[in-house]
Amino acid sequence: MIAGRGRQKIRPPRRGVHGEEIDFENTWAIIASAFREIHTKNASKLSYEELYRHAYRIVLKKKGEDLYRRVRDFEHEWLSNEVRGSIQALLTANLLASTQIIGGTTANERRTAGERFMKGLKQAWEDHQVCMAMLADVLMYMDRVYCTDHRRPSIYSTSMVLFRDDILSSVSSEEDSPPILVLLNHVILEQIRMERDGDVIEKALIKSCVYMLEALYDGQIETEGQRLYVTSFEEDFLNSSRDFYRAEAELMLRDSDAGAYCRHTRRRIYEEQDRCRSTLSDTTTPKIEKVVEDELIKNRIHELIEMESGVRFMIDNDRLEELSLIYDLNARVDNKKTELMRAIQKRVVEMGTDVNNAAIAASQVQSALSEGADKGKGAVQEKNLNQQTIAALKWVEDVLQLKDKFDEIWRESFGSDQPLQTALTRSFADFINASTFPRSSEYISLFIDENMKKGIKGKTENEIDLVLEKAIVLLRYVQDKDLFERYYKKHLCRRLLMQKSISNDVEKQMISRMKIELGNNFTMKLEAMFKDMTISEELTSGYKAHVAQLGDPDPKRIELGINVLTSMTWPLESMGSSGDNEEGKKLKCVFPPAIERIKKGFEKYYGEKHSGRTLTWLAAMGSADIKAVFPKVPQKDGSLKERRHELNVSTYGMVILLLFNDLPADQFLTFEEIQARTNIPKSDLIRNLQSLAVASKTRILMKDPMSKDISETDRFSFNEGFQGKFHRIKVGVVTSGNKVESDRERKETEKKNDDSRAFCIEAAVVRIMKQRKELSHQQLVAETLNQLAPQFKPDVSMIKKRVESLIEREYLERIEGASVDSYRYLA
Amino acid sequence: MVLQKHEIEAALHAEAQAISAGRLKEDNPLDLSEDFRLFCEACRRGDLKVCQEMITVGVNINARDKFDYTPLILASLCGHFEVVQLLLESGALCERDTFQGERCLYNALNDRIRNLLLSYDYAKSTDPLQPLAAHITSLLTRDHPKTTDITLGTATESFHLHKFLLSARSPYFAKKFATAPGITSWKLSNNIPTQSCEVALRYLYFSEVFADFGDGEEEQAILTGIDKISRQLEIEYLLSSIVEAGDRRLTRQRRTEEINRGRDQLGIWFEENVLKNKITVDTDKLNTLLWDHNNSIFADVLLRADEDLGDEEVDESLPQQPPIQNTTGPLNAIPIGPIAKSRSPPRHRTLQKSTLYPVHRAMLLRSEYFLTMFSSAFREAQETPHLQIIKLDCTPAVLEVVLTFLYTERAEFGLDLAIDVLFAADLLFIEKLKQKAAVIISTLGNGSISTAESENPRGETDADDVLNVYEVVRAGWDTRVHRLEEFGARYIAYRLERYIDEEDFAELVRESANRIVGRQETDTVELVDDIRYYLSERFRLRFEDSGLDEMMNEDADDGIGTGGEESTVASARVFVELEASTAYEDEAVDVFDGSPKKLGVDESDRRDDEETCGLDIEPQLLSGAVRTLDGELAGDEFAQDAINYQILLGKIDRLLDRLKLDA
Repeated sequence: MIAGRGRQKIRPPRRGVHGEEIDFENTWAIIASAFREIHTKNASKLSYEELYRHAYRIVLKKKGEDLYRRVRDFEHEWLSNEVRGSIQALLTANLLASTQIIGGTTANERRTAGERFMKGLKQAWEDHQVCMAMLADVLMYMDRVYCTDHRRPSIYSTSMVLFRDDILSSVSSEEDSPPILVLLNHVILEQIRMERDGDVIEKALIKSCVYMLEALYDGQIETEGQRLYVTSFEEDFLNSSRDFYRAEAELMLRDSDAGAYCRHTRRRIYEEQDRCRSTLSDTTTPKIEKVVEDELIKNRIHELIEMESGVRFMIDNDRLEELSLIYDLNARVDNKKTELMRAIQKRVVEMGTDVNNAAIAASQVQSALSEGADKGKGAVQEKNLNQQTIAALKWVEDVLQLKDKFDEIWRESFGSDQPLQTALTRSFADFINASTFPRSSEYISLFIDENMKKGIKGKTENEIDLVLEKAIVLLRYVQDKDLFERYYKKHLCRRLLMQKSISNDVEKQMISRMKIELGNNFTMKLEAMFKDMTISEELTSGYKAHVAQLGDPDPKRIELGINVLTSMTWPLESMGSSGDNEEGKKLKCVFPPAIERIKKGFEKYYGEKHSGRTLTWLAAMGSADIKAVFPKVPQKDGSLKERRHELNVSTYGMVILLLFNDLPADQFLTFEEIQARTNIPKSDLIRNLQSLAVASKTRILMKDPMSKDISETDRFSFNEGFQGKFHRIKVGVVTSGNKVESDRERKETEKKNDDSRAFCIEAAVVRIMKQRKELSHQQLVAETLNQLAPQFKPDVSMIKKRVESLIEREYLERIEGASVDSYRYLA
Repeated sequence: MVLQKHEIEAALHAEAQAISAGRLKEDNPLDLSEDFRLFCEACRRGDLKVCQEMITVGVNINARDKFDYTPLILASLCGHFEVVQLLLESGALCERDTFQGERCLYNALNDRIRNLLLSYDYAKSTDPLQPLAAHITSLLTRDHPKTTDITLGTATESFHLHKFLLSARSPYFAKKFATAPGITSWKLSNNIPTQSCEVALRYLYFSEVFADFGDGEEEQAILTGIDKISRQLEIEYLLSSIVEAGDRRLTRQRRTEEINRGRDQLGIWFEENVLKNKITVDTDKLNTLLWDHNNSIFADVLLRADEDLGDEEVDESLPQQPPIQNTTGPLNAIPIGPIAKSRSPPRHRTLQKSTLYPVHRAMLLRSEYFLTMFSSAFREAQETPHLQIIKLDCTPAVLEVVLTFLYTERAEFGLDLAIDVLFAADLLFIEKLKQKAAVIISTLGNGSISTAESENPRGETDADDVLNVYEVVRAGWDTRVHRLEEFGARYIAYRLERYIDEEDFAELVRESANRIVGRQETDTVELVDDIRYYLSERFRLRFEDSGLDEMMNEDADDGIGTGGEESTVASARVFVELEASTAYEDEAVDVFDGSPKKLGVDESDRRDDEETCGLDIEPQLLSGAVRTLDGELAGDEFAQDAINYQILLGKIDRLLDRLKLDA
């Protein structure tokens, strides 16, 4: 626009910009007086342009150094002469006194004095900031040019340093009083303590003082860690807080209960967080939290949990909220919550042991009673066993209740914390498998049995599910799964054969659950049992059809229902008959001819279907329906009436009764005669006769003499005068239900269990050795234990024995000369 | 990804079609004007001065000549780094993925230029007008310091706006405000959607507008509203700038066009109103001047610049006279000058004159100085009944340049103002203006010697010198513009014969040395280093051209090396030559004046060396009649150059010795 091609000559800069010297002193005088005006808040009359121009010229004249120094000196003087005095005027006697000894002045006086002091300081600080911002505006050119070139801090930050040195670090006029900064710290700390004690303080005021401390730095370097707040105040604050809370924890532990302690602690933590936000600095939050946590929780958690009103009390009284508090607190300081976990585990084991002991006590009281009262008397024994069964069921219920209780605590109070759950599980497993209480497997199986037989009657599917779930939960805790399997098989066997089970579906459901929980291996045999049952049904109906086909329309034909059981899968020996095997051989029951004929017929039929299989008849397990006609006897109304009854008796009972069919009415049979003619094992015979001749409701036979016990010399005759209220009469045989084993039985079960374990162990050892060829003893034991863990926990000595046995049988050999005991597999 | 030839041709063809169909503006239109021819010629030769002048005249920097060359291609092809830099700084485009851009990159003579071109790729650099646009857009949301003077209300929202900007951008507002300048609020028609108003206002405030208003009916309503409002406000380009926003290049062109149009509007308004209404009064009558806030050009502050009165120092401390005459009632018409005229004539010799410019704070805020001033609590930021007068420490001409730059981003001024502008820009913290001033000084400052010509190693000096190079260097130091120091060093290097013996030069070297805070004995003097560098450049070009560089290598290396035994030996030899020459030739008309005396001192110092080196001189003396700087006969021109080079280096060394500066 202006530049043409014409000759333009560059001109030297105008005067004033470059050229003659300026009068530094005069110019500075103008600037200094303006600064004074700024400090006295009269800036609105000043011309920015003029001041800036003066400063600009000075800098341009390379006098930046002088200007900078002058400004610094000016500020230094101003702060020392004007500001410091007004601050120190605020230092009243009682404020100073409070730094040394507390007392003499009331808290209220001290508070007001402190507030006045802080107000003054805050005012001075804010004025300083505003003024320095204006100065920095005026001296912008100096900041940009001189300070940048000479690596000086900007005038603003320099003046902030001055404020620190001249005001905060200054010592008041009086002797041996600390610098303002220390006083300020002290005042703030005192105010905070007042607030902790419940007073109301001016938070905003403190906050602005904290802002001041945050804006200033300790050294020349402006880093986060060098803030005055951090270097001077924070440490003091944390220390005083630590002392405060240590004392408080002491007091609280002594004077209040655990719940209150927890609540108080939580409130303190919130308070401190709040304080950091509203009064101090957010950067302190984690640090003060740590202090509170350390003092109130970490160092005290043990005492707290062990308090009389501690965790134990809370658990016993279902103080879920307080437990949750404790959990929170513990979680704050310890990620693993060790203390709480330990306490909980301890309590679980304690309570579990109580339950165990109660169960043992219940059974022992009963047995003691019975032993004392009547030794060896069957009925009482039975009753005793019944009592024990109830104890068993109670045990299961108790354990489940315990489990529910802790589950609730876990859910409600511990926020479903995973590690805690594991710990709980471990504790439950601990007491359930305690060596002092060996019956858990049996009890659980009994519990299931009970439910299968009665418990689930009339329940909805959901409820049944719940019961099954409970059983499975308990099962999970059990270590010796094989023992449980044994019991379960036994109980299941009875349920199936006696058709006690309410619902086959539920049974199968249970098994499938166990399958999920314990694996295929575990349920294989159980499933096989079910399979046998189904096959048997088919067989029965097949035989029925076969008979009908034969065309033998005998109206008196006896119907046969049959269960063919695979001998390996069914625990037949545990069925009633086993008790009398002392003769060493199985007695074969002599069936009456009619029955014998059918038996033959079926054997033939079965033999056709499956050749090469042998059927062994187990009379002890069957039952029979007999139609019986009792001769006319006078009724109450005087008429004579023939009575027909349908009798449901055991197979043995039937065999016995059929003996009397051919007997004239007034004849009798002695016990020995009956035994000789039927070949029924003695104990079974006694039991059956008891139910037929002793039990008042089903006294179909008369016994002579009339007594409760059966002796070998008793004589029996048909009770023609038998009267029954119902058409159908069930003659129960004692001990047909599933009950707790007697001690003798238990020993046997255990022995059997040990035998089968022996096989399992051998199998495992061989499996391992076959794969590894050579292995040291320790490793072998470890691996074996590992492999068998899902089934049971074998005894180490047992493993040793099995290994010995394998060596004897030349499956393994010891490696000669090996430094540690080692074995080699012999192929 | 390498395109096949046919693909490129197809793309070019498509572009050509788009241009001929008017869809795309041509980036490089054909320009056959004489000015442009001169411009291209200058670019070819590397003549910085002419280039700068032509740019100032306003040729299209991105046009092409009849051979399809753009100035940028010419400059980079011919290897003129400084010219390429100037062109790029002035807005020459070198965009990758365009035909001309790639051609330019491909043609670059060396890697230095190529890298420079790449660094100015459009994707990375911004439109030179972008800072202005960004500032104006930011005015829409800036609420401190307060600069708005009108509130525009729509049905749901109100916008705080600036009357001067509205009237500059929209003829409608210009008319409305002309009739009622004091108005403070304005109601827009209610049936235009607020969003449409916002778009229109953003457009007026130089903001980019995007065609994204939701969809369907809503969009339609807004577009209709925009159409309506643009017709009402007479801003007919608004709609066209919105509708198409697909093609990157097209968008860019549109945007550039828009900003340019806006800048021109603002520039015209600025000239018509601000500059036309400047008032020149006697300085001591200033206080009588009262401007009301409600004036027809909506100014909210007056800037004052005093005429330069030579040595007359304005006495700041003079008690300010109270206003003698108060205007009654608001003055809302311009001019208001009569007061000054009605005053009695100047009482004493040359009365100080001051010029007042009515301006707008909103625009002054572009300078950090004013931003701080108006944000502070000082007098300038206070509300006063009449407009405040703020004095600026510069001449009216300089102030005008500054204002023009602030309002329009234009910086076109002559060399005569350049240094003052440089200082003013430094004072006001306007970095870009500083750079422009520096560019102007360093391009125009070479006088009639263009760069190409100044490669003449014999350092023939221009008789009439356009600038005081000492002042330029010092100004560069004072305002921290490194470019000026470099320029100065180069300038001096090419004319060293003239400056080397001046006392001012020695003073400058000393200043340069003192600039390094805590300077160590062994530190180099920056200025001297630079001069040595350019000196070697000046001479070496010749040596390389003639293939004699090998021959001269030893000497040259010695000379350039900073310090060390060998360099003293080398210079010693020159002194011997010098000595010999003074003995022989009396008629030698030196370009140097007064040197023999000074050299005499050295001569005695070096006398021991004379015998050993004396033999070397003989063949040279016999070889021909070409004379060196000191009148020595040199074998030929090359030998002469070499000897001159050594002489100059030696002089520098001695100067440093004298100043006790080790370098």
